[in-house]
Amino acid sequence: MKRVVYAVLALLSLALCLLFPIRLFLGDVTFVRYKFGLIFSSLAWLVFATLWAAGGKAGKKP
Amino acid sequence: MGSRLSALSGRLDKLYEFDREPVTADKLQPWTKFAGLYAGEHVAATEFVIGAFFVLHGVTAGDLLLGLLFGNLLAVFSWTFICAPIAVRTRLTLYWYVRKVAGPGLMAIYNIANAVLYCILAGAMIAVSATAVGLAFRIKSPSLSDILPTSLGWVLIVFVLGTLFTLLAVLGFEKLSRFAQVASPWIFVIFIAGALAALPRLGVRPDLSNLVEIARTKIWTGVPVAGQAKLGFGHILFFAWFCNLAMHVGLSDMAVFRYAKRWTYGLFSAFGVYPGHMLAWAASGVMVAAIGREMNPGLMAYETAGFAGVGALLLAGWTTANPTLYRAGLALQTVTPNWPRWKVTLAAGAATTVLACFPVVFMKLLDYVALYGLILMPIGAIVFAEHWILPRLGIEPFRAEKLGWVVNPAALAVWAGTLGVVFLLPLHLYFKWLPGYGLALASYSVLSAFGRKKAAGGAR
Repeated sequence: MKRVVYAVLALLSLALCLLFPIRLFLGDVTFVRYKFGLIFSSLAWLVFATLWAAGGKAGKKP
Repeated sequence: MGSRLSALSGRLDKLYEFDREPVTADKLQPWTKFAGLYAGEHVAATEFVIGAFFVLHGVTAGDLLLGLLFGNLLAVFSWTFICAPIAVRTRLTLYWYVRKVAGPGLMAIYNIANAVLYCILAGAMIAVSATAVGLAFRIKSPSLSDILPTSLGWVLIVFVLGTLFTLLAVLGFEKLSRFAQVASPWIFVIFIAGALAALPRLGVRPDLSNLVEIARTKIWTGVPVAGQAKLGFGHILFFAWFCNLAMHVGLSDMAVFRYAKRWTYGLFSAFGVYPGHMLAWAASGVMVAAIGREMNPGLMAYETAGFAGVGALLLAGWTTANPTLYRAGLALQTVTPNWPRWKVTLAAGAATTVLACFPVVFMKLLDYVALYGLILMPIGAIVFAEHWILPRLGIEPFRAEKLGWVVNPAALAVWAGTLGVVFLLPLHLYFKWLPGYGLALASYSVLSAFGRKKAAGGAR
């Protein structure tokens, strides 16, 4: 269950990493807000994706 | 010389002993593993440099788009029709197959050449990451024409980063490679984020109505910067095709595809090359245009994606330099008897760090990538000829293994001869490998046929 939560949070963080530059491009946010948004959503991805990966079985390299 | 090569090959065999047997049916992997592996492997720190160099070399938007589209397709076909079928039929790594074909001595020479080339590549990754750290300390990054270290500050940053990357590689490859899998999708997203953020700065309207015009007039203008040669459609097509030449035509990825259920799994390499070698390269082109066409990956990342960009550049350098250092260490272990793995990786890391101090390793990255593939390509041609052509000509394959040769003289002559001829060919460096491949195929087949006739004559 925890793993699913981490996966959802990780994917949401990655989606946010894309949302901030799209909103900057559309003129909805300033460059400063974009940079802050990107750094926080990036940190969230790295934390949740690591927890997600750690929760699963070790991947077998093909 | 022969006995030294035999001793070397003995040590190599020990290193690869677990890969000696063909992969068994129960170990075969589903296609999703291959799609995932390729998707995660082709976004490296060097992508920041390659896409930007296309802009500096005056590539036009149309040439870039078509060149990357078809060049990457040719790369995918090379994995699918050249590498994967041999891997699926033999279920062996290139290491063991070359050993059967060319003899253990030539395999040792091949491994050492590979180690040196890996060290230079890892050096380029460290240097690219160093441009990001240099920003924080206001240390000027080297310029396009720089070959030697430009300042003490640059050398110190490279030294610190190189030491850090090496120590992390020494401490644990497995954990780091799992972290690389976590970081990989994010690094790709940061490339896209940086490019999107750079578009308004270049004047692209939110409705994208002038995107094509801006792409043609401000990004891929067709005009090279001073001192850079102009590249066109053919150069881009060939670059995209050969940038992983050692892996597909050179057959290194037999190590991967020996686990494939079908040779058609080679098509899943498209999951790696199209995001990494098309979208990421295009994104870095947009970023370099936004900072005034200055080759400074750290500045590109910071100006378009802030600290997240700097972090992505550092992580991209680290996560890709790490396995490269590991592989270099593995290959170098053959000439360092009784050294533990940590010591060999440390030595490879030290050599790599020294190389990374020289800006030429990333300022001439496009040429280096071409040379890397070119040097290893003849071995792929020799294996291809032995596997497909010799049996059809009625020539007995694997004579080196059967007769116990340390070095297959025909293979050594073809490798050295092909490289000699291609370096003399009056062609651009990017185009040399293709005639070289044909030459290696033909000359190895002829020499093998001649060798068999001579042996048959001797026996009579």
